[in-house]
Amino acid sequence: MRRLTWCSLALVLSVAPLVLAPAPSTPQTKKLVYWTHWEQNPEFNKFYETRGKDFAQKTGWEVQVVTVPYQGYEAKYLAALVGKSGAPDIYMGMTHHWCGQYDFCDRMPAELAKTWDENLPKYMVGVGKWKGARYGIPIEHGNFQQMYINVDLWKKAGLDPDKPVKTLDDWLAAMKKLTVLDAKGETTQAGFALRHKGHPVGITDKFLPFAHAFGARMLSPNLEQATGFANSADMVAALQFYQDLVQKHKVASLAFPTPEDAFGQKRGATIFRESWFFGWVKKNAPDVTFKVVALPCGKACPGAGNLFPWTNLVYKNSPNKQAAWEFMRFISNAKDDLDQHQAQGILPVWTANLESGYVKARPDYQSTQDMLKQPVPPEYYHPKSNELATAFGEAVVAALYGKGQPKPLLDEAAAKMDRVLKD
Amino acid sequence: MARQRRAGFFFVLPALAYFGLVFLVPLVESVIGSFYRTVPGGESRFVGLRLYAKVLSDPTFWQAVANTVSLLVMSVPTTVVLALAVALGLHRLASLRWRSAWTAMYFLPFSVSLVAAALIWQWMYDPIYGFLNHLLGQVGLPTQKWLQSLEQVRPSLALVNVWVRLGFDTIIFLAALQAIPTEYYEAASIDGAGPARALRHVTLPLLNPQIVMVTMLELIFNFKVFDTVYATTQGGPAGASQTVIMLLYDTAFKYFRLGDASVMAVFVFVSLLLVTLLQWRLFRRQVEY
Repeated sequence: MRRLTWCSLALVLSVAPLVLAPAPSTPQTKKLVYWTHWEQNPEFNKFYETRGKDFAQKTGWEVQVVTVPYQGYEAKYLAALVGKSGAPDIYMGMTHHWCGQYDFCDRMPAELAKTWDENLPKYMVGVGKWKGARYGIPIEHGNFQQMYINVDLWKKAGLDPDKPVKTLDDWLAAMKKLTVLDAKGETTQAGFALRHKGHPVGITDKFLPFAHAFGARMLSPNLEQATGFANSADMVAALQFYQDLVQKHKVASLAFPTPEDAFGQKRGATIFRESWFFGWVKKNAPDVTFKVVALPCGKACPGAGNLFPWTNLVYKNSPNKQAAWEFMRFISNAKDDLDQHQAQGILPVWTANLESGYVKARPDYQSTQDMLKQPVPPEYYHPKSNELATAFGEAVVAALYGKGQPKPLLDEAAAKMDRVLKD
Repeated sequence: MARQRRAGFFFVLPALAYFGLVFLVPLVESVIGSFYRTVPGGESRFVGLRLYAKVLSDPTFWQAVANTVSLLVMSVPTTVVLALAVALGLHRLASLRWRSAWTAMYFLPFSVSLVAAALIWQWMYDPIYGFLNHLLGQVGLPTQKWLQSLEQVRPSLALVNVWVRLGFDTIIFLAALQAIPTEYYEAASIDGAGPARALRHVTLPLLNPQIVMVTMLELIFNFKVFDTVYATTQGGPAGASQTVIMLLYDTAFKYFRLGDASVMAVFVFVSLLLVTLLQWRLFRRQVEY
């Protein structure tokens, strides 16, 4: 027993110097943690780490990127931001949510805000602002929908892909020509690959270009009322048109998977998607020959609008927020903007880059220009936009599945949206 | 004696602490949270029973409850009856090796992650590329829309739940069957009872505690079902598969209405507690021979 005690003591004494010795004098690395849920854009995300290494040489701060899966990202963000423990220093999100409904955002330093205000395309200046103050850095230009057409399928249907349709009437006629039914009347090739699955917020997002083309808007201009807007005569006509695509004309099918898959599998000849989709098709369906054109117009043109204005935000309670803003300042220039977006194949944000060789060589260069020439459509950057879009999307998807007629469905949705707005 | 009591207390302390931290604290937090409304800026304001009135008068909430009950009605009896049938079948297998092999096969789905299982079934249910429609096509039957049909989505999801849970319930029944002394069957046989009567008058009464327990577990599992629905349909199409927990999740984390979500959590807790107590009281019987 005594021997064992002495042995233990000897072991402790031999280990003690190793434990108590000061750490070797390597330079201390500090980390800024960046959270993103843009899992489809790994190269874009990696750029923060790459530039973080350059930033570290100057300041000692590196950047660590954490990619949170898109499904359920809100839960993880909210838990971390509320709990403050394990929260990121910088995170990607929508300004009107995280700064509007919650107070999780640090206000951008004035001179940096000025830099961004001066270098954004006009339609994007409002993105990243809440109540007039800038909090977020917009990261995605071209996040409005455009029309992707499968050139081969269009040609096969006797349509000229170089002369894309300009009006909704012509568009519908083209979709009919592109649709192929089997002997049982089931769609085997859809003219239009339509979003009918997933969360109603996404359904709303994909329907809004149609609504705007009919001259309708989801909410009043001050974003305080839905009745009279979400259920206006124009909106009812738009939803009737959308429902007819499935129920009457059968140019879109509810049996098809996601629109992206249908387009990639050549089962859908046309899809409405944002500029990032160009990179997706190149990667996932390289044998699909496609063109990108502006969306067709109805009574009005859909314009360059979006429901998800993504930005980079700095967490208000981060102990490293000064360093976080320093890093943001470090990469706030035209070159970094171009390098980062080009690495992923998406459109850069800075106005100075919109006429760059990279952008001009893209297949969506002309269509982007055409979309930007259209009047800016309504924006719905309300703190409760998810809940409002859900109520609205439920009506849209119910119409698609034939659960009711557009008018009563939209009346019900508008009433529900008003309750949400007043609550 | 006091020392023994103290020792006993220390032995149960870890379990008590775990239960308290992981279950009781969140429960109490939920109950408190259901009386507060989060206002822009992240602060909370006491609103009394207002959120209860709001949530309990919302048709979307009751639609989610109806969907959940409908899923539950399809899943629970099917799982329990099938598990019992499978356990009886396995119990009759004389070869221990084969019995173990079959039991392991039935149990395998239970060990699979629910999300992974859901994604596999999503592929099987795919109307165009799915395995099930391929099979139907092979035998000349019309293909189905499965998860993309308003009518078929809940039965399709119920089938996934049955597949996932069957093995677990079977194991419980099998263990209980193996614990029934063979003398009871011998006595029943001497009294002239055939297999059906032995099942009715010996096996089922002696399995009563397990049947009640399994039914309660299934009820709780199916009431709280989330992963499979979230991974496959996200409540669609057109809200036809939106369950209470799906709605609760959206309310809390998509709409940031923590108070409303807490009301739903309290509703789920109270409902399950009442149903469990009722079931316990009505069906639990002491059986002695």
